[in-house]
Amino acid sequence: MSKANTILYLDGVSVSFDGFRAINNLSLVLDKGEMRAIIGPNGAGKTTMMDIVTGKTRPDAGEVYFDGNVDLTRHDEADIAMLGIGRKFQKPTVFENHCVEDNLLLSLKGPRSILPALFSRRSTAENKRIDDIFDIIRLGHRRGDLAASLSHGQKQWLEIGMLLAQDPKLLLVDEPVAGMTDAETEETARLLKQIAETHSVIVVEHDMHFVRELGVKVTCLHEGSVLSEGSLDFVSADERVVEVYLGR
Amino acid sequence: MISQRFFAAGADRRIAITISILIGVAVIVPTLNIAVAPDSAFHVPSYLVALVGKYLCYALLALALDLVWGFCGILSLGHGAFFALGGYAMGMYLMRQIGDRGVYANPLLPDFMVFLNWKELPWFWHGFDHFWFAALMVMAVPGLLAFVFGWFAFRSRVTGVYLSIITQAMTYALLLAFFRNDMGFGGNNGLTDFKDILGFNVQANTTRSALFAASAATLALGVFVTWRIIGSRYGKLLMAVRDAESRTRFLGWRAENVKLFAFTVSAVMAGIAGALYVPQVGIINPGEFDPANSIEVVVWAAVGGRGTIVGPIIGAVLVNAGKSWFTGALPEFWLFALGGLFIAVTLFLPSGIVGMWDSWQAKRSGRKAAADAADATAVPEMAIAPAAIVRGGRPAAGAAPEPQPAE
Amino acid sequence: MVPGGPPVRDPVNDPPEPVLYMGFLRNVVAAGLMLAATLVCAAADEAELRQLVAKFADANNFQATEAVVRELGATGSPAVEGLLTALSQGSLYVRKADDAIFVGDEVGPDIKLRDPLNGEAVGTVAKAGLTKIKVNNTLRRVIRDALGGLTLGSNDPAVRLAAADTMFKNPDPATIAALDAAIAGEAVDSVKARLEQARASAVLLSDLGEADKMAAIDILSSRADQDSLSQLSRFQASAEGPLRASAAAAVATIDQSLALWQVGQNVWYGISLGSVLLLAAIGLAITFGVMGVINMAHGEMVMLGAYTTFVVQQVIRDTAPGLFDWSLAIALPMAFLVSGAVGLAIERGVIRFLYGRPLETLLATWGVSLILQQAVRTIFGPTNQEVGTPTWMSGSFQLGQLAITWNRLCIVVFCLAVFALLLHVMKRTPWGLQMRAVTQNRRMAASMGIRTPRVDALTFALGSGIAGIAGVALSQIDNVSPNFGQGYIIDSFMVVVFGGVGNLWGTFVGAMSLGILNKFLEPYTGAVLGKIMVLVLIILFIQKRPRGLFALKGRAVEA
Repeated sequence: MSKANTILYLDGVSVSFDGFRAINNLSLVLDKGEMRAIIGPNGAGKTTMMDIVTGKTRPDAGEVYFDGNVDLTRHDEADIAMLGIGRKFQKPTVFENHCVEDNLLLSLKGPRSILPALFSRRSTAENKRIDDIFDIIRLGHRRGDLAASLSHGQKQWLEIGMLLAQDPKLLLVDEPVAGMTDAETEETARLLKQIAETHSVIVVEHDMHFVRELGVKVTCLHEGSVLSEGSLDFVSADERVVEVYLGR
Repeated sequence: MISQRFFAAGADRRIAITISILIGVAVIVPTLNIAVAPDSAFHVPSYLVALVGKYLCYALLALALDLVWGFCGILSLGHGAFFALGGYAMGMYLMRQIGDRGVYANPLLPDFMVFLNWKELPWFWHGFDHFWFAALMVMAVPGLLAFVFGWFAFRSRVTGVYLSIITQAMTYALLLAFFRNDMGFGGNNGLTDFKDILGFNVQANTTRSALFAASAATLALGVFVTWRIIGSRYGKLLMAVRDAESRTRFLGWRAENVKLFAFTVSAVMAGIAGALYVPQVGIINPGEFDPANSIEVVVWAAVGGRGTIVGPIIGAVLVNAGKSWFTGALPEFWLFALGGLFIAVTLFLPSGIVGMWDSWQAKRSGRKAAADAADATAVPEMAIAPAAIVRGGRPAAGAAPEPQPAE
Repeated sequence: MVPGGPPVRDPVNDPPEPVLYMGFLRNVVAAGLMLAATLVCAAADEAELRQLVAKFADANNFQATEAVVRELGATGSPAVEGLLTALSQGSLYVRKADDAIFVGDEVGPDIKLRDPLNGEAVGTVAKAGLTKIKVNNTLRRVIRDALGGLTLGSNDPAVRLAAADTMFKNPDPATIAALDAAIAGEAVDSVKARLEQARASAVLLSDLGEADKMAAIDILSSRADQDSLSQLSRFQASAEGPLRASAAAAVATIDQSLALWQVGQNVWYGISLGSVLLLAAIGLAITFGVMGVINMAHGEMVMLGAYTTFVVQQVIRDTAPGLFDWSLAIALPMAFLVSGAVGLAIERGVIRFLYGRPLETLLATWGVSLILQQAVRTIFGPTNQEVGTPTWMSGSFQLGQLAITWNRLCIVVFCLAVFALLLHVMKRTPWGLQMRAVTQNRRMAASMGIRTPRVDALTFALGSGIAGIAGVALSQIDNVSPNFGQGYIIDSFMVVVFGGVGNLWGTFVGAMSLGILNKFLEPYTGAVLGKIMVLVLIILFIQKRPRGLFALKGRAVEA
């Protein structure tokens, strides 16, 4: 398989913790500009896969390549983030004691060393970029409030906004609509589709309505490897998928 | 430009007031001590100058600790070590200044070395006859130790209580080391019997007043620097690392470098505090490395209000004033009081005096929205106070606290 | 010099003065004769002895006294032992009135007299009525030799053994004949071996032939201890040719075996220190390791245990001194209860409000520790308290070349017992199961009907109680003062963190390896520097493995 046109390329990846194989010979390829939904029951290895891609966990075996030729297993989290992979956590993780605007400010693409951070002042370009992101995530009216005061759904959006501020090539979005109302879920689907126009995206989600709304290729994971892959209709018709979701 | 921001409202105004007070104190107290006749009601007695001068050094130490603890969540139980190292560097300069006026009248070797039958000055004592060199070492030695220690610790992601425990082990190891005569720092007795500093008699009233003024001015500078750091984008990052370290990593920041910078700056501040402290009290000995001292610093910051700039200063002065009073009036009860303070502050006053004042103000002025949102944080400076905050590992407000096994 | 020729006298050891030298020779010859005589005439009757004893009254100089001592020694009678000992201690007297000889004990201005042979009390006399028989060092030496000879003939094998050892340590060629006789008559193997060693050491100094000396070297090298080493190396320095080579070989062998024993001794010291560390840390392994509570007052729990021991011993001293040997056994449950109760109070009163905030817990418990220290200081005073050691725990014994004191051995055994008990509680009892359940998944445990707050409180009390009984043991080897606990707190944390938090076996291995490492570093670096190095090593180690030796690897947790 050629890596040339891929944004993410996993081949034969395995990792185990204390004898438990969380990821078992997983292979997954994401083309540039593609949005992919990943589903799978609890413990299927979805979050561990994201940990591997973002450098939090080192695989025991296998290849992980980004953008065709960057070996991700040789980089740590900060490096990988700078390469252009953004990650949203399952539980929304924002800087609760900063105002919404500062959350975005800290996420903006730019130099990541200490001295510039110590002496830089905010530029007009940065202000413009922050305004743009507020337009996308629709939190402009809360920009001065503490992030802690946002609702759960708003925190999810803020976190997505922080990802956008990084201007990554690939976004990993873990359960973006967990705990959201239907209206918020719809809104989030719209937001992600908008983002997917200019970025590659991987979405991990349990909510099948949401996945359907995204209307993209679906990969079902089970026990650390790919069980089925294709359109949502194809995957949900797959007997093995039905089996792992409903039990036998 | 700076001055404009300097007098802006809210927290910035509080900083401005603090700096003004400190500078005022730096000028007025020495004047009242030297220029006013001893029988005047306005005369400040020398013992008070020395005492308050000591408190100001402690305040700088507490501020240094708060930079890493309050703003970055690193509970260092070894800041006393940086303080003591700065003190030793200054002490070495003062020892060299004694020259041949020591008991053994050796022009080169300090008394304790003559006593131990040493023939030459150890290499690390060279250069300390120059004030500039000693001043450099006051900052370089604690800074370097903090840098090396932090470099290893933060890279391997030692966090939380583990970090606290190894910082404590660090100061304990230094305590044992400095007790050894072979180390060449005077062993058990430390360095004392100082005569001159920059050619002035350390015992003289004028020198003491000058040292007092220097302490107050340095503290003011420390407040200013801390305030500038906290207000910068780096400062925001520092607090972001405190609240959600892994989030900053996934945003591309190197959290270890963020912490390392704060830790090193903080150690340098602690070293300077120690250097100002030593000529005022006239002695530095290994007891300063005692882990108990370092923990006491933590309670100063906690009492005043961690995560604020003014809090640690208030805390250090109040607790030490209390200590002076207790050890004079009820020496038996000082440890009871201090122990009780530790418990009371953590249980009932988690955001300290400043934090309590702020939340009271917030309630009074009816800024309820903000107060509700962040439990007790409302006033701008409190936006950076961690005490009343929901942090990563901490249960959300309302949920019953419960133990979690150490990670 | 020709091999096999007359032995070369070591110029250093040669007595410089000819007169003294002659005296020395006379002594040894006499001693030899006397020993031989001892074995010939098994016992002299009492009347004869009394006549001999009476001669002391006429002996008005050291030489004369010496002659009498020799004659007494030559009788070989055990009855003269007491009076010879008394003589060497300067408590043999002549009554001025009738020139009778007595052993005397000074009582104020008077002297209580005892019969020199049978020890019966015969009244009290003022000092003025008596003349003390004077002794000097030469005489003392003669007396010692005489006693050595007497005891070789003793009926008690232990006495004979002691005599053999004395003669081994003070080798004298003149005693060879006596030793030969004793060896021939000796029935007990162990005593015989010692007698042979004593003889060998004497042979090396004698002018016997090469073959004899070779055999002697063999015997000494098989003994392989510090004494035989020094005798052989002294001999090696003066010997020539094959004897020298053979002695050198023996010295090398002994050196090697002693080095091995030294390693063994270090391991033992290490285990001993390790069990002290383990005792101090084991309670912490529960409160910190299992519950995640940073209890800075842990050292004070140990201190309370030590003070409980002190109080228990005071009460026993006042009320039932006979029970003193049982005082530690009584103190154990008391200490467990006292520390456990204080621990329970701390958990309910302070810690439970701070769960999930480890740094705040650290500060609050530090406050508790200050209060407890000051409370103890206020009640008992700031000075060290005297905690006694039961008789069965004092003294030491020798295992090969290892010196092992009973109290250290007791602590090691006790520590292992506590560890095993704790392991049993955690792994095999319903309570331990509940504890582990709560640790692993609190919510789930709660919904299974486990009362989690109660488990928390009891777990903390258990950890504190264990610290208390550790205090009982540690009171035996350390000064009991209000600062008692401070000395252990940092070490304990190091052990737990080094071993891996939440893992009792990790704590065990951590304590033992730190103990042994410490003791192996000490000979090279000194105690303080060794400790500093261990601290630095732990700090570096934690950087490398932040979760300790036996940390569990798990799926990375978010944020």
